[in-house]
Amino acid sequence: MAQTAHDTHAHAAHAEHHDHGPQSFWSKYVFSTDHKIIGIQYGVTALMFLLFGFCLMLMMRWQIAYPGKAVPVVGTLLEKLLGEPAKGGVIAPDLYNVFGAMHGTIMVFLAIVPLAFAAFGHYVVPLMIGAPDMCFPRVNMASYQCYFLGGVIMLASFLIPGGAAQGGWTSYSPLATQIPTDGQTYWILGMVFLITSSLLGSVNFIATIIQLRAPGMTWMRLPFFVWAMFVTAFLLVLAFPPLEAAAVMQLMDKVFGTSFFLPEGLFVGGQPADHLSGGGSPLLWQHLFWFLAHPEVYVLILPGFGIIAEVIANNTRKPLYGYRALVYSVLSIGFLSFIVWAHHMYLTGMGTKISTFFQTTTMIISIPSVIVLTCMFISLWGGSIRFNVPMLFALAFLPMFGIGGLTGLPLGLSYVVLQLHDTYYVIAHFHYIVAPGTIFAIFAGIYYWFPKATGRMMNATLGKIHFWGSLIFMNLIFQPMFAQGMAGMHRRMYDGAATYSLANGQDVIGALSPGIIKMNINITHAAFGLLIFQIPFIWNFFHSIVKGKKVTGDNPWEATTLEWQAPTPPPHGNFAEAPHVYRGPYEYSVPGAAKDYTPQNQAP
Amino acid sequence: MSLKAIHIVFISAAMLMCVVFGLWALGEWRAADGTANLLYLIGSGVGFLALAVYGWFFLKKLKNVSYL
Amino acid sequence: MEIPYNVKSRPDTGLYNAKLGIWLFLASEVMLFGGLFTSYVVLRVNASAENWPHGLLNIPIGTFNTFVLIASSVTVVLGWAALKMNNFARYRKFQAITILCALGFLSIKSIEYSDKFTHYEIWFKDGHRQTGHIHQDGKKAWFWNTKTLAGAPAVKDAKGNVVKPASPPIAEFEFSPDATHYSDAAKHTKGEPAAAEHKESAHASGEHAAVKVKTADIKRLSAFVPAHSTYFAIYFTLTALHGLHVLIGAVVIAYIWGPGAKLWKTNPEQYVNRIEVSGLFWHFVDLVWIFLFPILYLL
Ligand code: HEM
Ligand SMILES: [Cu+2]
Repeated sequence: MAQTAHDTHAHAAHAEHHDHGPQSFWSKYVFSTDHKIIGIQYGVTALMFLLFGFCLMLMMRWQIAYPGKAVPVVGTLLEKLLGEPAKGGVIAPDLYNVFGAMHGTIMVFLAIVPLAFAAFGHYVVPLMIGAPDMCFPRVNMASYQCYFLGGVIMLASFLIPGGAAQGGWTSYSPLATQIPTDGQTYWILGMVFLITSSLLGSVNFIATIIQLRAPGMTWMRLPFFVWAMFVTAFLLVLAFPPLEAAAVMQLMDKVFGTSFFLPEGLFVGGQPADHLSGGGSPLLWQHLFWFLAHPEVYVLILPGFGIIAEVIANNTRKPLYGYRALVYSVLSIGFLSFIVWAHHMYLTGMGTKISTFFQTTTMIISIPSVIVLTCMFISLWGGSIRFNVPMLFALAFLPMFGIGGLTGLPLGLSYVVLQLHDTYYVIAHFHYIVAPGTIFAIFAGIYYWFPKATGRMMNATLGKIHFWGSLIFMNLIFQPMFAQGMAGMHRRMYDGAATYSLANGQDVIGALSPGIIKMNINITHAAFGLLIFQIPFIWNFFHSIVKGKKVTGDNPWEATTLEWQAPTPPPHGNFAEAPHVYRGPYEYSVPGAAKDYTPQNQAP
Repeated sequence: MSLKAIHIVFISAAMLMCVVFGLWALGEWRAADGTANLLYLIGSGVGFLALAVYGWFFLKKLKNVSYL
Repeated sequence: MEIPYNVKSRPDTGLYNAKLGIWLFLASEVMLFGGLFTSYVVLRVNASAENWPHGLLNIPIGTFNTFVLIASSVTVVLGWAALKMNNFARYRKFQAITILCALGFLSIKSIEYSDKFTHYEIWFKDGHRQTGHIHQDGKKAWFWNTKTLAGAPAVKDAKGNVVKPASPPIAEFEFSPDATHYSDAAKHTKGEPAAAEHKESAHASGEHAAVKVKTADIKRLSAFVPAHSTYFAIYFTLTALHGLHVLIGAVVIAYIWGPGAKLWKTNPEQYVNRIEVSGLFWHFVDLVWIFLFPILYLL
């Protein structure tokens, strides 16, 4: 098994020629059934959506900081594209709602999940378990295509009269269906495609992990990343369908005039909605939505855990601390995440008994999350840490996720939520988890696996600039939001709460002080700073694909897991010779071993 | 679970449904007479028996097929 | 490149890939229909008895359809068993019956649907309600609602061509009411005497002679379409989604039965696997109906 990189290379290239002969550009890169190409397709598309979602937010931030002023640079373009709602380049309230709803939707369903779960999962999981591909390659292709179509529908909805959905990413009924534009219909259709895509993908993941593990790859020899993906896939398979059911019902409400989520005696715009049968339940939507959306937040973070675990083990050059504890924690997180959903609904009047139940489960689920974080912190102890770019991001992930997680605990308590519900405190809390949390994990993953996918390294200096800029500005953006939220500033206000400013001379309880309002401007500046520090990354990414420093072997980070034992970049079919696994995933610095790492497929 | 296993589950569920249907028809018949309800009652009983016989025959015939 | 365990089972799991795949897929389907069934319960618990239509579906037809589906499950399994014993001709015969059953089910369902689309309820301004049929020029009217009565201006496309001609407002129309209204049963359980025949479905109980109904007296008019009530909303959503599954299942089974049968010659084991996988899906679809039938038709 101890082949040199060169050998493997030649072998693989040879094998591929035998199997396929030359493939056309279309069948190789667009309609590919190769899990690695599909992973890259997901990755590139999702990165674009990440940038797009971020740009939406930048325009919103401008409007929050300087309400009523024309958006600089792109203002005229906005007016040309969107017409009335962006008159004079100013973001009208309706357009703010559109951007807000679509920022949330795009970030969650089109950017982060497709990146963290689909892109890395597709590329890395089959390699890590020593499989030639996924179980169902054509289903895999369909999964990407559904994702792509869903994205196109979401984007197209910006251009229809009245614009995209305005009801927030949560799309609460009756609001979402009673807004008189068609954006919500597109949103639902888009969601149906995205749900189908994630369903096809995750069924494939689970089947692959169960069926295609290489000989010797027992469950407890799986890298933690694979475990994280395994649980994530289960969450997607089981949590998404109820949202699909809800989406179908909302579509019926919107298109066929049913009243699934519309109560009796509803008034819309001051008029009684007599033509409706009524009798539906707005709470039903919220339950079905959060039954998905809470597991979904773990879908957003678990792949991040997985990536960080790999990067940390590799760069501390020692085994992960508490591998088993990590595995059991992630399994219990998966299970528990199905019974905490109504902690998003404390203020709906669903009753104190139910609140108490969900409050309890919420406190319980924080335990395994803390175990995961603790294990990763302890893993650093006594390691000889290599501070390369992936590791920097991984190290920053830990405290950032810590802040996000700890600030979430108060939100699990129903009486605290009386003050904090729907304020910027909530925004700050979950963004600490997804932005400097998951996004940092994604960056770590990109810098880490880039050499495997392309055969070239990304530039480390640019990477460090990218890292420090992102770290600083992320905190400058989200830290002040805690203060704003605790002062009572609500989310989803298009003028950044200017209406509630003390400066208006009102003597209202809860009016916001000038200091709180002024933070809006600082945050917006920081958001633009964050944009500037993404430029080195974007350049680095594309430039390194063609011009980056070539790797000298298959295993530039000297890692133990199987993906690094495959040729670089791995050909269709992956391994030159089907690997056999003899040991656990993190045999770093084993006393008495020849090197400070022992690959999983190295025979004893 | 193989097709055999789920078929057994399915036939049991269908038998259960016959029972529910029968009970429902009995209730309706008691409350408001009506020949239709009596027919439903008899029909569901026949259905139940037919399914039971079929199920037994099925188990015997596919003895050698695995449940997994 | 060959993907392992595509045909043969993996020894430690005892499964071939597609079988695991279909079961995972079915797990998600359980959650999908589970979400809808839960919604049914929630909506029903919230509804008052007068607003939860009852006895409007045709039970004999529903029962017949149920047995059609049960029969199709039986033939799927017998076909699979025949193929396992290498009896291809027998498999063909059984599976043909399955496909016919599926088509039969769908046709019967569409007849039921069209029945509903021409059956109406009127909420009068004085508070009473009636169900029945509307006749227009001697034919049954389809899909009317309150808005239809107000008439509509002509619809024109961008060039000014008339796409849909204007419909004049309707001041009065012909209506043949059913003998009973479903809310009578609800009153009856509250202790009021009810007409003896109220237990019969609306169809069996016959219709009264046609009467003229004035639009001015009407508060709301709706055919038995999803917008009629949350009951019909969930009824149509569930049965349409189920019908879609029947259709997909039938297409897949027919494909394997017809053009896909070439595989039997080249790779019989994989072919039998395909029958099993499609049969698993088919059983799931039928199982859903076994639950749908009582909760929609009987309860
Ligand atoms: C890093 C750059 C980001 C910034 C500066 C940012 C900023 C914001 C702000 C200020 C809001 C509140 C808007 C309002 O209430 O009016 C918001 C909402 C939201 N953001 Fe982000 N965000 C970022 C990234 C992300 C990411 C990566 C996600 C992915 C999960 C995300 C998901 C959401 C969601 C779900 C909402 C709620 C939308 C709604 O109210 O319906 N954001 N974001
Ligand atoms: Cu939650």
